[in-house]
Amino acid sequence: MKPSLSSNLHNILAVARREFIFRGRTRTFRITTLLLVVVGIALALAPVIIRFVERGSTGDRIEVAVGKTAPSVDVAAALNAILNAPVPDAPATSNSPPAFRVEATDDVNAARTRVIDGTSAALVVLDRSPTGDLSFTYYSNEGLISRRAALIQQAVGSIAIQDRLSRAGIPPGDQGALFEPPAFASVAADPSKPNRGTDSAEAFASSAGISFALSILLFMAIILYGQWVAFSVAEEKNSRVMEVVLAAATPFQLLSGKVVGVGGLALVQYVIVLVPAVVGLLLQGQIAGLVLGTGGATVALPTGLSLQLLAVFGVMFVLGFGLYAVLYAGAASLVSRQEDVNQIVAPLTIISVAGYLVATYSGTGLIPIDSPLVVILSFVPFFSPYLMLTRLGQHADSPVEVLVAIVLLALFIPVALWVAARLYRSGVLLYGQRPTPRTLLRALRAQ
Amino acid sequence: MSLVLENLTKRFGPITALDGISFSVERGQVFGFIGANGAGKTTTMRIVLDILRADSGTVTWDGTRSTEVPRRTWGYLPEERGLYPRLEVLEQLVFFASLYAIPRAEAAARARDWLTRFRIPEYEKRRAEELSKGNQQKVQLIAAILHEPDALIMDEPFVGLDPVNVSLLKEAFGEMRRRGTTLIFSTHQMEMVEELCEAIAIIDQGRLVVVGSIRDVKQASGRRVVRLGVESNDGLPWLADLSGVTVVRAGHDYTELDVRGRDPQEILQAALAHGERVTEFVIADPSIEQIFIEQVGRAPSEDHHLADAVPPVGSGAAGGSGAGASGAAGASGTSA
Repeated sequence: MKPSLSSNLHNILAVARREFIFRGRTRTFRITTLLLVVVGIALALAPVIIRFVERGSTGDRIEVAVGKTAPSVDVAAALNAILNAPVPDAPATSNSPPAFRVEATDDVNAARTRVIDGTSAALVVLDRSPTGDLSFTYYSNEGLISRRAALIQQAVGSIAIQDRLSRAGIPPGDQGALFEPPAFASVAADPSKPNRGTDSAEAFASSAGISFALSILLFMAIILYGQWVAFSVAEEKNSRVMEVVLAAATPFQLLSGKVVGVGGLALVQYVIVLVPAVVGLLLQGQIAGLVLGTGGATVALPTGLSLQLLAVFGVMFVLGFGLYAVLYAGAASLVSRQEDVNQIVAPLTIISVAGYLVATYSGTGLIPIDSPLVVILSFVPFFSPYLMLTRLGQHADSPVEVLVAIVLLALFIPVALWVAARLYRSGVLLYGQRPTPRTLLRALRAQ
Repeated sequence: MSLVLENLTKRFGPITALDGISFSVERGQVFGFIGANGAGKTTTMRIVLDILRADSGTVTWDGTRSTEVPRRTWGYLPEERGLYPRLEVLEQLVFFASLYAIPRAEAAARARDWLTRFRIPEYEKRRAEELSKGNQQKVQLIAAILHEPDALIMDEPFVGLDPVNVSLLKEAFGEMRRRGTTLIFSTHQMEMVEELCEAIAIIDQGRLVVVGSIRDVKQASGRRVVRLGVESNDGLPWLADLSGVTVVRAGHDYTELDVRGRDPQEILQAALAHGERVTEFVIADPSIEQIFIEQVGRAPSEDHHLADAVPPVGSGAAGGSGAGASGAAGASGTSA
């Protein structure tokens, strides 16, 4: 079995061509692509869509009953200001409607009825403890663990503090100075080398977001399109066409062709889905202006998205998908029915999920980005596509490390191909046998 | 010598599928590969095609190891017919041909040509799953011969075909043969072997039992068969007096006798001596089926018949009358 390079290439392309064209022509493919395009655009334009839907709304009504507490501040106005304060780092949306509308009330019972029937979202009743401190009772239809309850709890906290300060005799003007954060600067110890990691909160949020997005893109490609490869193998085995094809092409050619064909189609679908979504994201401001009649903030590409990161992502995406797809195909060749496919590829899926989770955790700081676990795993072929990207996104690596990880991954793919072709050769003609570890071992040892 | 198999052995776990198979097939020959289900025919073919690898032994084609032989040397019609169910007929054929490096336009032209020859040109744009079984088999055969292989290897090509398609396939065989293609096919339909094959190999439970040209195999059996037809209809009771003569097939038109160890002329004399009016007297070689039964101990198509019923106590002569069960001698039909 030493087919020439050209015959290898020829048959790989012939198999890939069939996979690509005929899978791409199916109605399922077209419908899912269309659906994904719609979902992608919807996600990209979600802020505009939400604003469009809520353009008439005046926000949730929160009622406040001050009673006889006589606080030093206008509680309703203060609550309103705090609850509707813009989120730091978020694009200023001056024209967006307020999320909350706080109104003062005197009739606690009537207000409670309004909360029950839903015309009001919540009622806050003030009281004073014997020590003179303000106390708050929150009436709503939801528990304390809700975003709204948390926001209100936070807001009334600062009202209570203001009240205490006023009672202690500090005038409101000085209170602002009291809460002013001190100056705090971060300087690299070695001035010749910039610090690793990010210095500003915005940059961190941006790079974490990018790592997260890239990990998700890779993860989805592996899970979704890896399954395609696996199902395509099982399908051929099921229709018994495998034997005819195997008489004409070697398992290696068939396997590689499938991965290339399905991978190519996956890439095409990805591009078809991503391009409108990204365009939508970039044109968000203009679209908002068009739909809402007011100019919105334009969204620029996140600052952490460098060309270098994109290039590495491209390489890692192709190699990572290739590795998983090859093994998905090898595994799927061991079962004879399509319903068994999920079971046999589960270990691979779990590995992929693990890589994705570690990448997400280290990207958001739950696991320190330079912990030994992350550093070591970022070189292991199954995990390096996820983790090296995350480390790169956080500038927690050197170009040499990235190169080493890519080379290791590229070198590992032929190994995976060899294993998968082995499994394939012995697997494809086994029908109705359960893939036990012993069968697997025998398949690998077989001549 | 063109295709040479030497000492092939293949085990699947505890089962020995092939146990030292050796034989050779001449270029351009029509070669029959005979055995019951599970005898090892398919495994042997898969090894020749390099779909499976033997545990030991070699296969060579014109002196080249089969693992080094270009795949376009072979055309293969597997027993389990397989097409892409949702692919159009012409597209499948072009795809299969493309694996043998045939340009797409050329492949399409050849495919249309063959579809017309097989009288199904109108199915070109149909999806394979829409075709009847017989027509799917035609497409499958075209897929196997489109790249004009040197040798066509077919696993049970006649199974499941109606008589019309059987004769179509036989004609296609003839045409391939005229083009110089070596035809190797497995079967357990002996009439096909008698009609088409120049040489045969019989295997049973992974072992080669008989191999050679039809003529050599028949002569080597050392048996002669006499067909005797008489006017009377009394079952030739006098045959019992002749030792060494056994009835192979009893029929109304003629009776077939195995006359090993006796001069066939004695049968004719005995018949005349018993006052029979002889209408037919033929001295012939034994059929391949008879040789198979003699060598293997049961009929090749035994799997296609019901096993003998457990005879009710006391009933003596409930012998099998079907062609397949004749002389099967109740062999245990366990086949892997």
